[in-house]
Order: sequence, then C-alpha cells, then structure tokens
Amino acid sequence: MDFLSEVLDWFANNWDGSAGYVARLAEHLNVSAVSVVIAAGLAIPPAAWIGHRGKGAVLGASLANLGRAIPSFGIVALSLPVTIWLAKRLPFIDSGLGFFPTAVAMVALAIPPIFLGVLTGVREVDQDTVEAGRGMGLSEVQLLTRVELPLASPLILSGLRVAFVQVVATATLGALVAYGGLGRFIVDGFAQHDDVELFAGAVLVAALALLSDWLFRLLARRLPTSRVVSP
Amino acid sequence: MLRRILALSCALGLVAAACGDDEEIGAGPTVKISSFNFGESQILANLYAEALTEKGIPVELKLNLGSREVVKPALENGEIDLIPEYTGTLLGFLKGSPSSDQNKTYEDLVTELEKIGLTALAYAPAQDKNGFVVTQATADQLDLTKVSDLAGKEADLIFGGPPECPQRDLCLKGLETIYGLSFKEFKPLDVGGPITLTALEGGEIDVALLFTSDGSIAAKGFVLLEDDKNLQPAENVVPVVRKAIADAYGDDLAKALDPVSKKLTTQALTELNRQVGIDGKDPAVVAKQWFTANM
Repeated sequence: MDFLSEVLDWFANNWDGSAGYVARLAEHLNVSAVSVVIAAGLAIPPAAWIGHRGKGAVLGASLANLGRAIPSFGIVALSLPVTIWLAKRLPFIDSGLGFFPTAVAMVALAIPPIFLGVLTGVREVDQDTVEAGRGMGLSEVQLLTRVELPLASPLILSGLRVAFVQVVATATLGALVAYGGLGRFIVDGFAQHDDVELFAGAVLVAALALLSDWLFRLLARRLPTSRVVSP
Repeated sequence: MLRRILALSCALGLVAAACGDDEEIGAGPTVKISSFNFGESQILANLYAEALTEKGIPVELKLNLGSREVVKPALENGEIDLIPEYTGTLLGFLKGSPSSDQNKTYEDLVTELEKIGLTALAYAPAQDKNGFVVTQATADQLDLTKVSDLAGKEADLIFGGPPECPQRDLCLKGLETIYGLSFKEFKPLDVGGPITLTALEGGEIDVALLFTSDGSIAAKGFVLLEDDKNLQPAENVVPVVRKAIADAYGDDLAKALDPVSKKLTTQALTELNRQVGIDGKDPAVVAKQWFTANM
C-alpha cells in the first residue's frame, strides 16, 4: 500500500474515541481559544491606552517585539516547575502538566501580535476625527471606546487573526508536556517512527491553521468599517 | 599537542626516533566518532575519542547525531565510524533477542553486526537500562522496593515516560505482560529527561521511566525499583565500529579502547552523568578528567 492510501486509511480509522482526531481537534481548539482570549484580555487595555495617549508607544512596541523573540518551547519548559507548584496549591487546577503549561506558553505567544494590532490601529486613527469627538464633549475613555477602537477594529482583528493562527500552529508543543491536542499525533508519530500518524497530524494542524485564517478574514470583511488589512 | 606533532612527524618519516615508541600507533584513517542525542552518549563518545587520541589515532567528533534510526544508516554509509552503543537495545533493534545474559547478548550482537559490515569491541561492565523510579515518599507509603511490589497498587498510580513507551516491550507493554501491571494513566513526557524528572519530583506522576545510570536518581533521593522479573536485558556499554576501520587498525583499536571499557563501571558512569546532568559540566571536560585520573 502506498503512503497516501495509508494516510487516507488512517483518517478513516482514527476519528473516534478519546484518542481519535475529533477529540484531539476539540482539545487543540480549546487550549488555543482560551489562550487567545486571555491574551486579548491582558494585551488590549494597555495597548489601547498607550495608543490613545501616544506616549510610550515606541517602548511598548519594542517590548512586544522582544516578546516575539522568546521561543515557545522555552516558555513551556521554564513554566513547567511553576505550573506544577501552582497546581498543588490552587484547588481549581487539577494538574500542572498538560493544559496549564501549554496555555501559559500560548498566552505569551499571542500577546505580541494582539498588542501591536491594537496599538497600531489606535495610533493610526485620524487625529481630526479624534479632535472632532473631543469637541463634541466626549471624555478620554469615551473617545477610546466610541471613536478610536471602532475605527481601529480592522487592525485589531488582524492582530487577533495572526495570534490565533500562530497559536493553533504552535499548540502542538503541548504534546511534549502530556497535553492532548493535535500535537499528540506529531510527537507520538515521531517517537514511534509512525510516519503515517505524524504526517496525518501535520496535515490536520495545517488545515486548522488555514481554516482559522480564512474565517478571521471572512469576519473582517463583514465589519462595518470593512477594510481587510494584511499584517 | 606534542603527541599530535610526533604522530604527524612519524607519518611523514621526519623524526625516526619518535616512531619506535610502542605507545604510539601512528597515522591511519581518521576515526569519525559519533553519539546519540543524550548526555551520557556524548560523555562516552568523548571518552573513547580521548583514548584514541592518546594512542595517536586521528579522530573527528560528530556528536549528537540523533536516534538509532539515524545512526545505523550513517554507520553503514561510512559517514561515521564509531559510536558508543548498548548491547541489549541494539540487538533488539537488529531484530535479535537480547536477554539478561551479558555474554550471550554481546555475542549475538557481534554476529548480527558482522552481517551489516560492523563489529563491536569489548563491552564495559557499565550498564544503562530502562529503570522504573518512584519518590522516597511513595516508596515508604506503599512499601515498594521492587517492580513486582507495585502489583495491586498500580491502579491508583500515574506512570510517566517517553511517548513511545506504550508500544515498547521494554516499557509499558512489558510491565503489562511480564509484571501484569496496568496503571491508572500514562502521561507521555520525554526520554528520561528533565520533564519526566520535574513531573516526578512535583508529584504529577507517581512512577517514572528514567535511565538506571542517571545521576539525578541518587541526587534527588528517588528510589529505583529492582527489576525482579528481569524485564530489561543486559545493556552493557559497547563501542560499535565499522569493519573497514577495525581492519585498517587491526588490534590497535582494541588496545586503545578495551582498557577504557574495562574500567567503566555503572557507578563510574553514573558519577560522570551526575557531573554533566546535575553540575552542568561539559561532557568533553568530564570525559577528559576521568581519563586522566583513571587511565
């Protein structure tokens, strides 16, 4: 049997059960979505405020870019002793392996593109528009939430899109610390010299990343301030 | 350096007096020494390199090549000439049947190696096997000293090891068939590396697969459970070398390397691993110090 038909065979036979690719896909999306939502919560408020004030923008952007230079596997490995320590003390976390260290690394990976998207988007809002809003008596917070953030939404969404696609492609690392997800097929396939499983896993991750990218672009086109922005 | 100059001079026939020295073997083909992608293998490769250099045999180090799947074709193609191996695992890899009998495993291995243009020099008393390890607290609480003590208690325990473990006879499969153990859960981690250690230390897993010569077992106060049903075969350290190189040097390779292997006990190897794994020393430095002190 040639390689391609073995791969097709794999897809036909490995979809169900807790180790099937449907369950792995759900785990993969779970850690990716949770991480990007947390990263957005952490990155959007400071980025929006710095963008609005205009001060410290260069410093903020530099710090965010610096964050991009840290390899995600390094974060997984470094955070492992910390997550294990925390899991023993926090009752709502049942394990310091798996989801928790994976999510820590994925949040760190997602922060820079989200931060930069918001910062750039807010800074690039036409100052005349902002001044007009100020003239109408809007407070600084109102200016940000009613004028700047809506106008910046294409760039903000673009940042979220880049973050999510990167996280989907990188969450495979979770398999190194006993998490499930699609990385399981790649890591186990490599360790067991099962090229079919490894290849199938890689195909699934690539397909999921491309699909997410496409969905985000579709969403961006439907925004009222529709203007698709590429990074 | 002086030895190298002497060896070179000898090869060019410049210094006649230096060539009579029976410690010096003189120039021949360069021996390309390689290692697997873990610390102990690099120490051993450096150790054998040290021994060859000492005898004036030119060496080139190509370390950290990868897994056995990468190493075997590299040996067969002559991209590398020598690598420190382990008798039982290599024999199993070559489809032979390793056992706990050290001599028989070694002899069967040599027979298999000859078929693919390779051979093995004398093996060391040092062994490095898959080991099943628990923390002192777990050992005390459940009264564990050997692997069979886990019987009847393992249904509540989490086992952590390399991702290939569930498929391997010397790992989970063997624990199930030979010892009749089935754990509550298996956590796929790394190959006896820092992730497994951290998980065991932090109580995320109860039983870990580590290597028996791993210096951190003693350093962290872990308990290595005795393999009382001999699941693991003999795993003596052995230099595997290309036949072409072995023939080119005749007995000289054995003269250089056998004394090193002979002195290499599991205890010595564990101590070398501890210096690299725990103290963070360089494998080459550790190998050189041991060689100077013992040879």
